[in-house]
Amino acid sequence: MTHHEVEKYRKPIRILHWIHSGAFVLLFLTGLILFIPGLGFLAEDSWTRVIHRIGAAIFIVIPIIYLIINPRSVARGLKLAFTWTKDDIGWLKAAPRYYFLGDEKDMPPQGEMNTGQKMWWFIVVVFGVLFVITGVVMVFAKTTASPAVLQWMVFIHDVSFIVSGAMLFVHIYLGVVHPLMTDAWSAITGGKVSTEYAKKHHAKWYAEVSKGKE
Amino acid sequence: MAEKAILYDATKCTACRGCQVACKQWNENDEAIPTEENGVASKNWGSYENPPDLSPQTWIKMRFTEIEAGGKVRWLFTRQACMHCTDAGCVRVCPNGSLYHHELGFVAYNKDTCTGCGYCIDACPFNIPRSTRNIITGIAKMDKCTFCTTQGLDRIAEGWEPACVKTCPTGALRYGERSTLLREGKARVQALKDMGWVNANLYGENELGGLHVMYVLDDYPEIYGLPASPQISAATIAWKDVIQPVGWAVGGLTIAGLGLNWLVARANVKKEAKK
Repeated sequence: MTHHEVEKYRKPIRILHWIHSGAFVLLFLTGLILFIPGLGFLAEDSWTRVIHRIGAAIFIVIPIIYLIINPRSVARGLKLAFTWTKDDIGWLKAAPRYYFLGDEKDMPPQGEMNTGQKMWWFIVVVFGVLFVITGVVMVFAKTTASPAVLQWMVFIHDVSFIVSGAMLFVHIYLGVVHPLMTDAWSAITGGKVSTEYAKKHHAKWYAEVSKGKE
Repeated sequence: MAEKAILYDATKCTACRGCQVACKQWNENDEAIPTEENGVASKNWGSYENPPDLSPQTWIKMRFTEIEAGGKVRWLFTRQACMHCTDAGCVRVCPNGSLYHHELGFVAYNKDTCTGCGYCIDACPFNIPRSTRNIITGIAKMDKCTFCTTQGLDRIAEGWEPACVKTCPTGALRYGERSTLLREGKARVQALKDMGWVNANLYGENELGGLHVMYVLDDYPEIYGLPASPQISAATIAWKDVIQPVGWAVGGLTIAGLGLNWLVARANVKKEAKK
């Protein structure tokens, strides 16, 4: 059974994911040490700021390159992520029982992205943009903007850090650790998931991609 | 230990700027033509006030203000340097404790551990800290008045007065127990009032929990270019006292929740497998 597989993520998407997430982890760690006073000594002499900026350049440039090369894929992804139906409401209600107890009887069928993935996309897009705007101001207007503006930029950057940082833990946990997400890792590394997994976790999507093939 | 302070009496200051020179000399910020990034060079810009601004190598500067009062021009002098607040914005925002309160009350810092984030610069109600800064790489170091406690150049530990006080020829700058200087400052203000300076006041007794540099002024602080009521900014409070503790809670609860989920979910998967 398991040797039947369907492609979940194409190669360009996977490359985008890994470079972008690698940059984000770099940014997250070099930012975290300013958030935890006991680790602040690691930031001495500004060297982590240099790394933070290299990470930021990658974080900004890579999605832009992807957007230029493949604008239709971006538009499609955004449309998927920001289209909510009653199945998403049903997912929110049933999710706790499913993720804790493995009880899937109330879980509505999901499309290519399930509701949790849609929420993660929302966070990535909204807070990613906030990160970039506030970060660019803090880099290039550091000596020219008013102190109040710079302080509020730090504030917004911090809020974005808290929300997306906490959700990054959830994202990694679900992808790598959670006992029921068996094929998530293979989906984002090799691109493929088993047909069984696709049917179970993304029924609406599987119905679409398998149409006329079986 | 009893708190120490500097008392600056603007009515005795002649703006000789000996304090600026002594500060640079003692703290090895010798250059009038700065050698560091963001330094401010001395130049003729139409005023005896020179250099034009504080910089990483200029920690104290006399500010010159001209006002017209009762048809006469008055030329006012104020000391522009760290005020060493008890409730210090810079200490609140410093991410790794490089800025801290000295046991004698003033705000000292460890330049070696400074990360160059520049948060202190934006949090200071008096616009005092300055930094060297490369805009592109972000490599930076903050500097400000250390109350002569720089390691290796620590006058206070020797029981000496700060360099600026030591050099002051008119007694406009004095160093000592804060409580003593407070008493003497008030007496001086009363004497000025008796002479007809009705707006005379002592600046720094209660501002920001009490400053460790206090000013005797013969007129309102605003006239001398000082904020009438200096405050910790709303952004500092929202960021350090609200959102950061919330961040700790969110981060901690998320990790705890995921751990709990793993234990419960794994137990259920095992139970299913046994069936």
